[in-house]
Amino acid sequence: MARIELIDVQKRWGHSVGVRDINLDIGDQELLVLLGPSGCGKTTTMRMIAGLEELSAGEILMDGQPVTDVDARDRDVAMVFQGYALYPNMTVYENIRFPLRMRNVPKSEHRHRVREAAAMVEMEPYLDRKPAALSGGQRQRAALARAVVRSPQVFLMDEPLSNLDAKLRQSMRIQIKQLQRKLKITTVYVTHDQIEAMTLADRIVVMHEGSCQQVGTPDEIYSDPANTFVASFIGSPPMNLIPGVVDGGVFECQNVRVTGIPDSVTGSVTLGIRPEDCSVAGNNSTQHAQGTVYGVEPTGDLTYLSVQAGDNTLDIKANRDYRSELGEIEAIEFDTQRLYFFDSANGMRIRA
Amino acid sequence: MAGKSGRRSENRFIRYLILFTWALFCLMPILWFLSIGLRPRIEIITPQPIYWPSFSLDAWKMIWQDWPMAKYLFNSVAAIFGSVLIDLVLAIPAAYALSRFTFRGRDDIAFYILSTRMMAPAIVAIPIFFLFRNLGLLDTIYALMLVYAAINLSIVTWIIRSYMLDIPKELEDAARTDGAGDLRILWEIIIPAVLPGIITAAVIAMIFAINEFLFTLLIASTPNAYTMSVALANFTGGSDGVIYNAIALVSFIAMVPVFIVVLAIQKHLSRGLTMGAVKG
Ligand SMILES: Nc1ncnc2c1ncn2[C@@H]1O[C@H](COP(=O)(O)OP(=O)(O)OP(=O)(O)O)[C@@H](O)[C@H]1O
Ligand SMILES: [Mg+2]
Repeated sequence: MARIELIDVQKRWGHSVGVRDINLDIGDQELLVLLGPSGCGKTTTMRMIAGLEELSAGEILMDGQPVTDVDARDRDVAMVFQGYALYPNMTVYENIRFPLRMRNVPKSEHRHRVREAAAMVEMEPYLDRKPAALSGGQRQRAALARAVVRSPQVFLMDEPLSNLDAKLRQSMRIQIKQLQRKLKITTVYVTHDQIEAMTLADRIVVMHEGSCQQVGTPDEIYSDPANTFVASFIGSPPMNLIPGVVDGGVFECQNVRVTGIPDSVTGSVTLGIRPEDCSVAGNNSTQHAQGTVYGVEPTGDLTYLSVQAGDNTLDIKANRDYRSELGEIEAIEFDTQRLYFFDSANGMRIRA
Repeated sequence: MAGKSGRRSENRFIRYLILFTWALFCLMPILWFLSIGLRPRIEIITPQPIYWPSFSLDAWKMIWQDWPMAKYLFNSVAAIFGSVLIDLVLAIPAAYALSRFTFRGRDDIAFYILSTRMMAPAIVAIPIFFLFRNLGLLDTIYALMLVYAAINLSIVTWIIRSYMLDIPKELEDAARTDGAGDLRILWEIIIPAVLPGIITAAVIAMIFAINEFLFTLLIASTPNAYTMSVALANFTGGSDGVIYNAIALVSFIAMVPVFIVVLAIQKHLSRGLTMGAVKG
C-alpha cells in the first residue's frame, strides 16, 4: 500500500554507472516489471528502493514522503534477492520465520504463517533443512517464501523464478499475481523472461544502460515501441529492423521495397516489422522483400523462417506447414498496416 | 571385479599406513614425555639406554604433593579462558566494524591493529610491569588474563575480520530488509556464519597463551599467579638439580586442557558454514 516515486535517480561508483537517470511513478498496488539486458541497472534500482544503496543524486518518495534518510529496516519492504541470501545457519523454517520475529509478529501466528508461505512455494517437505542441503530452485523458493510471509508495503522481487523449471515457474507466476492482487501490495519485479513480464505486469519498464527506454503497459511496449532498442528487445524473435531510405513515399534498400509510406517519413530511416506480421508471399500478393532461405525451424504450431535479403536477415513466422530448402529464393510480404519507422540517426520512433 | 576391489583395499591399506606413520611421528614426543614422566628419576639420567623401563609414580606424587600443581593448573586454565573471552568480546564487534562499515582510515586501522603483533614483547615488558604494579594487580590471574588478551587481541581481530569479509553482503542486506538492526544482524547472522573463524582464532589465542612465559614470569611472583608454564621452571634448578620426570609430567598435564578443547570443537574448525547462502 504505497506509491513510490523515483525522481532523477542516479547511482554511480566512481566512473562506473549503475543507474544513469531514472524517473518512475509506481502507483499504489501496481505490479511494475523491470526488463532489460544484464547490467542495465535493474538490481541497483531495486536496492535503492529498498534503501540498501545510497543515491548519488535524485530522490525517492514513498507515499509522497522522501525516504532518503529512512533506513532499510524501517522502509517496510520485502525483497527477494537475486542471489537468494538465505541465512546459512538457519533451517528453511527459521529463514522464513525470521522477518516475523524481527517485525514483532505475535509468536502464536508464526507456525501458521510460515507453513502458509512454504505451502505456496511447495516447500513444506524441506522446512527442517539448512540452505546448503537444498537445490538451486528450492533455495529460490525458500527465498520467495521468506519475502511473502508477511505483508509489507512493497515487494521487491529480483528474478524470483529464474531457477525454476517451466511448469513450476508458471504456477508460481500465477500465485505471485494472485497474492499481489489479494494483499494489494505495490510490487517491483525484475525478470529476463518476456512471457513473465507480459503476463504479470501492469506496466513494464524497459531499461538500457542505466536509463529508462520506455514505460508502458505490456500492450504498449509490444505494439508501440518508443525506439529501436525497445523494438529489438521485445518479442521472440524480436522485430526485424531494416535500415534504408524513404524517397517519395517509397522505402528502399537492397532487396526490400515498400510503397505507400506516409509523407511524414522521409530520408534515412529504419523500417521495423515484426516476424508475426511477415508472411511468405503468395502468387498474387505484393512482394516486399526477396532473399535466399537461410533457416527453417518447424516448431509444431508454426515455422520459424529466416531469409537473407541483401545485408539483412529477416525473421518470419510462417505457417506451420511451410517447408523449403536452404538456399531457395523466397519472396516475403509485409503487413503494411503494421510497419514501424525509426530515425536512423538516434533510433527514435517516427510517428505518422 | 576381484582385481578392482583388491586394488581398492590395497589403496586403503596404504592410506592408513601413511596416516598411522604420520600420527606416530606427531605423537612421539608426547609418548616420550609420558614415558619419562612415569619412570624413576634415576633411570632417566643413566647414560646407558634402558630398553625395558620400570614404572614409577614418584614424579606424579611429587608434583601434586610437594607443589601446588592443582592451583597452577587452575591459574593456567582461568587465565587462558578469561583472556580468550576478553578477546572475543572485544574482537568480534571490532572485526565487524572493520569489515562492514566504511569510514576514513579503516584499512589503516586494521593494519595498525595487526602491526602491534609485530613488536618484540621485551619492549613493553617494563611498562607493563609498572602498569600492573600501579593497578595493584601484580601477582594475580587478572593481570595474566589482561596481558594474554592484549597480546592476542590483534591476531584474533584480524582472523575474525578476514572471515567476516567473506560473508556475502547480500546476507546482511536481507536481514536488514527483514527488519533486523546492526546488533541483531551481528548476533543472529554474522556470528553464526563466522563461527569457524571465531573458534579458529580462539584456539590460536589459547595456544599462544598457554605457551606464554615472559610476561607471566614478570607478573607472577608467588604460586598465587603461577601458571603451568612458569611452574615448569621450578623443576629446572635449585638444590635438587633438573627434575626431568617432573618436567615431562607437568608438560603433559599442561597439554590436557587444550587437547580437550580442541577435541570438543574440532568439527567447527573447518570452514564452509556459509555454503548454500547464496547462488553458485
Ligand atoms: N558495487 C558496485 N560497484 C561498481 N559497479 C557496480 C556495483 N554494483 C553494480 N555495479 C554496476 O552497475 C551496473 C548495473 O548493475 P545491476 O546489478 O543493477 O545490473 P542488473 O540489471 O541487475 O543485471 P543482471 O540482469 O545481470 O542482474 C553494472 O554495470 C554493474 O557492473
Ligand atoms: Mg540483477
